[in-house]
Amino acid sequence: MNQSKTMEAADRRFGWFMSAPSLALLLAVILFPVFWALFTSVHDYTLIAPNFDTFTGAENYISAIQDPAFRHSLGLTAFFVAAVVLFEFLLGFIVALMLNSVERFKPIYYGILLCPLLMNPVIVGLIWRMFLHPSLGIVNYLLTVVGFEPVNWLGSTQMAIWTIIMVDIWHQVSFMIVLLLAGLSAMPKEPYEAARVDGARVYQSFFYITLPLMMPVIIVTLLIRMIFAVKTYDLIYIMTRGGPGVATDLVSYSIYRTAFVSLNVGEASAMSAILLGFILLLTVYLYRYMRSLT
Amino acid sequence: MLKQSLLSLALATGLSTAAHAESVNILMEGVPDTEYVKTLLPEFTKETGIEVNLEVVNYAEMHTKLVPQLLASKGSYSAIVVDFYWVGEFTKAGWLAPLDDMIKADNFDTSVYVPKMMDLVGQVDGVTYMLPFYNYAMGLLYRTDLLEDEANKAAYLEATGMELAPPKTWGEYLEQVKFFTKDGMHGVVNQGLRPDPIAMEWSNYLFANGGEFHDADWNATLNTPAGVAALEQYKTNVNEYGPLGSASFSFDEAFNVMAQGQAYSYITYNFFRTAIDDPSQSTVAGKVEIMPVPGQEPGVGASLNGAWGWAIPKSSPNPEAAWTFLKWVESKKIAKERAMQGGSPTRIDVFDDADLNAKFDYMGAMKDMLLTSHNFPVFTYTPQLVEVLGRELSLAVADEATPADALAAVEAEMNELAKKDGKQK
Amino acid sequence: MASITLDKITKVYPNDVTAVNGVSLDIRDGEFMILLGPSGCGKSTTLRMIAGLEAISSGDMLIGGRRVNDVDPADRDIAIVFQNYALYPHMTVAKNLAFGLKLRHVPASEIETRINRVAALLGIEPLLGRKPSQLSGGQRQRVALGRALVREPQAFLLDEPLSNLDATLRSSMRTELIKLHHTLGTTIVHVTHDQVEAMTMGERICIMKDGDIVQVGEPMEVYRNPANTFVASFLATPPMNLLPGRIESVGAGALVVAMDGVALPVPTAFQAAYASHSGKPVIVGLRPEDFHLAAGDAARTAPIDLVTITTEVLGPEVILVANLASGAGPEIHARMPRDFRAKIGQPLTLHFDLAEIQLFDPETTRVLPRPAHP
Repeated sequence: MNQSKTMEAADRRFGWFMSAPSLALLLAVILFPVFWALFTSVHDYTLIAPNFDTFTGAENYISAIQDPAFRHSLGLTAFFVAAVVLFEFLLGFIVALMLNSVERFKPIYYGILLCPLLMNPVIVGLIWRMFLHPSLGIVNYLLTVVGFEPVNWLGSTQMAIWTIIMVDIWHQVSFMIVLLLAGLSAMPKEPYEAARVDGARVYQSFFYITLPLMMPVIIVTLLIRMIFAVKTYDLIYIMTRGGPGVATDLVSYSIYRTAFVSLNVGEASAMSAILLGFILLLTVYLYRYMRSLT
Repeated sequence: MLKQSLLSLALATGLSTAAHAESVNILMEGVPDTEYVKTLLPEFTKETGIEVNLEVVNYAEMHTKLVPQLLASKGSYSAIVVDFYWVGEFTKAGWLAPLDDMIKADNFDTSVYVPKMMDLVGQVDGVTYMLPFYNYAMGLLYRTDLLEDEANKAAYLEATGMELAPPKTWGEYLEQVKFFTKDGMHGVVNQGLRPDPIAMEWSNYLFANGGEFHDADWNATLNTPAGVAALEQYKTNVNEYGPLGSASFSFDEAFNVMAQGQAYSYITYNFFRTAIDDPSQSTVAGKVEIMPVPGQEPGVGASLNGAWGWAIPKSSPNPEAAWTFLKWVESKKIAKERAMQGGSPTRIDVFDDADLNAKFDYMGAMKDMLLTSHNFPVFTYTPQLVEVLGRELSLAVADEATPADALAAVEAEMNELAKKDGKQK
Repeated sequence: MASITLDKITKVYPNDVTAVNGVSLDIRDGEFMILLGPSGCGKSTTLRMIAGLEAISSGDMLIGGRRVNDVDPADRDIAIVFQNYALYPHMTVAKNLAFGLKLRHVPASEIETRINRVAALLGIEPLLGRKPSQLSGGQRQRVALGRALVREPQAFLLDEPLSNLDATLRSSMRTELIKLHHTLGTTIVHVTHDQVEAMTMGERICIMKDGDIVQVGEPMEVYRNPANTFVASFLATPPMNLLPGRIESVGAGALVVAMDGVALPVPTAFQAAYASHSGKPVIVGLRPEDFHLAAGDAARTAPIDLVTITTEVLGPEVILVANLASGAGPEIHARMPRDFRAKIGQPLTLHFDLAEIQLFDPETTRVLPRPAHP
C-alpha cells in the first residue's frame, strides 16, 4: 500500500520531469507572446517609445472599437471569412467526394492539388495580380477572346473583395479537399452497403450517412480554415493594400498597419485581443457542437 | 599551467582577429542603385582592406528587419540606408548617429548636394544624420512620337487652338491627356494602389495646382481649392482617361501599360526613364522622354521629391569603418561611376558632369526636376500620413467619398499627428 | 417471399481474378440455403451478387422469377445481415431499424408497430434508444438481424453473421435463427465457413470451392455421399479418413479394397458399381463414426488392425488417432465411446461398417458412383 503510493508519486514525478521541456517550450512560444500582447494592450506602447511607462487601461480598446475603420474591417473580415469558408467547403467537399471514388492516379491528383497550397501567399498574390491585370493580364484577354467585356478585377470596389475571395479559394481549397478526403477515406464502407440494400439512393446515402458521419471532421476543418482565413494578410498586402477605398481592408492588415505604420503597438495589441476574443467564442461554440455529436 | 594556456588562447584569438579583415554590413533594398554600388565594392576593398557585405531584401521587409537591430545596443548593421519616409521616425527614436563630427574631421563637403536632398535625407533640425544616396523624384513620362505626329498636331490645333508640344503648364498637360484618349489609347496611366503609390502620385497633382501639404506652422492645407481641384483631376484621369483598373495599379503595373504603348503619359519615379529605353521590357524605347511635372506657370516645377540616404545607426558595431565606406561611396568619383551605370544622382557636380550628360541626354531634365521639386512632409508620422492619405484618396477615386470630405478627413488626422509630434503648436 | 435462381453466374474482377465461375443454383421459395466453403471460395461474392452489391459479369440472376441483373439493390426487396453488422453508427437502434422503412415511405405508425414487434421478437426493446457503440457484440448482432427482419423482405441474406460471436452465443443464435425461419418461412441464404452451422441450420447446403459449386444437397445427403474428397474432408469433425488403396478382384467376381495389409471386402450391393475399377488405385474414404469396437455381422463389417498414436478424450466421446498396423499411410481418426481408453503404441482391432465405405478416383478426386446407402 505504502510502497505503491511512493511508486505512484515517483511515476508522477517522472511524468512531470519528462513533460517539463515541452511544457516550458509551450509556455515560452505560446503563452508568453499572448500575455505580452495583453499586457501591451493596456499600455501606451509605441515603437517610438517602446516602454510600459504609461498604463492606459481600456483606452486602447475603446479607441479601437470607436474607430469606424476598425469596425468596418471587422465586418468585412466576417463577410470574407464566411464567404471563403463556405465556398471552399462546398467546392472542397465536391472534389473530395469525386476523388474518393477515384481508383487510379490518386497520387497524381494529390500532387496537382497540393501545388497551390505549397505556394507562398506572396507568390500567389503576385501571380494573380499579373493574371488579373485589366489590360495586360491573361484572364481579361481570354474573356475578350470569348466575347466578354474585360472585368475590373481589383480596381472596382464591388469586385475587389470577390476577386480576393476567388484567389483565396484557388489557393486554399486544396486544404479543405485534403482534410475532407482524409475523413472520407477513413469512413467505414459497410454502412453504405447496408444503406444501399435498405433502399437508399446515392444522394440519400450522402445526406443520411456521409454527412452525419463526417460532421466532426467537417467542423474541425471549418474551424481551422476559419481561423486561418481571419488571419489573411499577405494576399491583401500584395494585391490591394486594402483598396480600392476600403473595399478589401481586412482586419489583420488593419492591425498590421496600426502596429508597423502607425507604430502604435498598444492599440494593435488591443485590436488583436478583440479579434482573439471573437475567434475563441467561435471555437468554443463549434467545439461544444462537435462534442454534442459524439 | 592553466594561466599559460588561457594566455596563449587569448593571444591566439587576438591574433586571429587582427589577421581578419574588418567588414562592413549594410542592409539594402533590391533596386538598380544597389546593384551599381555592388559592382564597385571590389575597388573599396582594394583601397581600404575593408570587406563589405550587402544584405539585399525587398522594401516590404526592410523596416521590420531594421527596427530590432536599431533598438539593440549593439546591432549587426554597420551602416544602413534610410528612405525619406523613415527619417522622422528614426531620428525621433534616436536611432541614428550624428555625422557632423566626422564630416568636419574629414572636411567632407556636403554643399555639393542638391539642397532639397539635404533637407529630405541629410539634415534634421540642423544636425546631419545622413548623406543623400540616390533620388527618386517623380517626373512626367510622355510619348515624344505622338507629339511629333503631324496628324495629331493638326487635330490638336483644331481642337484647342494650341500647338502640340511638351506641356509647359499643368493645364496644357491635362488638355493633352484628354486629347490623346482615343482609339484605344489612354491619355494617362495612374498608379492608384493605396497607400504609397496613390499618395505619392497625387502629391504631384497637389503641387501642380499650386497647393502644399501644410503651412509654415504645420497646419494642414489640403481641403483647399488647390487640393480639391487636384483630387477632382486625379479622379477624372483615373476614371475617364486611364485604362480599366488603374485605381488598383502599383507602379510596376502602370509602368507596363506605359511600356506597352497604351498610354500617352505617366507621372512616376525617375528611375523608370532608364527602364523605358530597355527593349526587353518596353515596346516604346526611344519614344518616351521625361520632364518635371509642369506647374501653374511655365518654368514652375511640381515634381514630388523622394530619396534614400546613407546613415550610421547608433547601434553600429564599427562606426569608423562605416564612415570610411560612406565617404568613399559618396565621393565624386564613385558617385559619378554609379550615375554612369544609370544611377540617379544627388550631387550637383555629378549632375553637371560632362561625361554623364554626354551619355544620358535627359540628365538636365532630371536636375531641373530635382531643383524645382517639392518635399513630402517629413516628420515622425510620415508613414501614417501616407497611409491615411492613400486610404482617403482611394475612397474618393472609388466614389465612396467626395473629394472635399476625403481631404477634410486627411487634414483632421494630419493635424492630430503634427500635434502629437510637436510640429504644430 | 421468393425463389432465387442463379444461372451460370460468373464474377470476374477488374484484375482478371475469377471469383465465381459460372455457378447455377436454384434456391426454392422459403428455403434455408447454406453457402459453405473455405475463405476465398466465392460464397460471399455470390451472396453479394444476389444482394446486388456486386455487378454480375455474366449469367442470369432471378429473384421470384424476375431477372435482377441490372436491378438496384434498393429494388430487389432483400435484406442482408453483414458479418460486422454494418449498423449506422450515428443512429440509435430504433433509427437503425426504421431507416429502410422510412426510405420506402412506410407510414410512421406502421414503422413503430413493426419496430416494436421485431424488438419484442429479438428481445432488444431496452436497447432501442442506444447507439451501436453502446452495445455488446451479441446485441449488435440482434439489431442487425432486427434491421433485416423489420423490412419483411422477400429473402434474407446472411453473410457469416455468427462468426464474430463467442461459442455459447453463436450456438444460441443458431437455434434462434432456425426458429425464426420456421416462424417466418422466408427464404434465407446463409453464407458460412463453419460446417457445424451448415449441418445444423440448412435445409440444403451448397458447397463451394475456388468459385465453383462442388455439391448441393440436404445436410445428411452431403454428409453421407460426398461428391469428392474435398467435401468428404470439409464436412464433419473429425472429417472422413482418406487412405490410398486399390480395388482388387479375388476370383468369382468378388472385389476387395486393399490397403497396406488390410483387405476390405466390397459389399455385394456395390460390386457391380466398382467392377470397372478393378485393378485400379482408389482413395478409400472411411468416416470416423463407422469404426466399432465389436465385430458385427461378418458380411457387414471387416476388422482393421491399428496401432494407437494417441487418444483425445472429449467427454461425450473419445477420438482415437491411430495408424494401420503396418505403420504406413496417414493417421486415421476413429470416434469411440466415452469410456474407451488406449495406451500409446497399443495395438487394437476395430471393425469398419462396410456399407459406409466411399471410394474416390485419385486422379479426379471425384467419388466412384455406387448405389445409395442401402
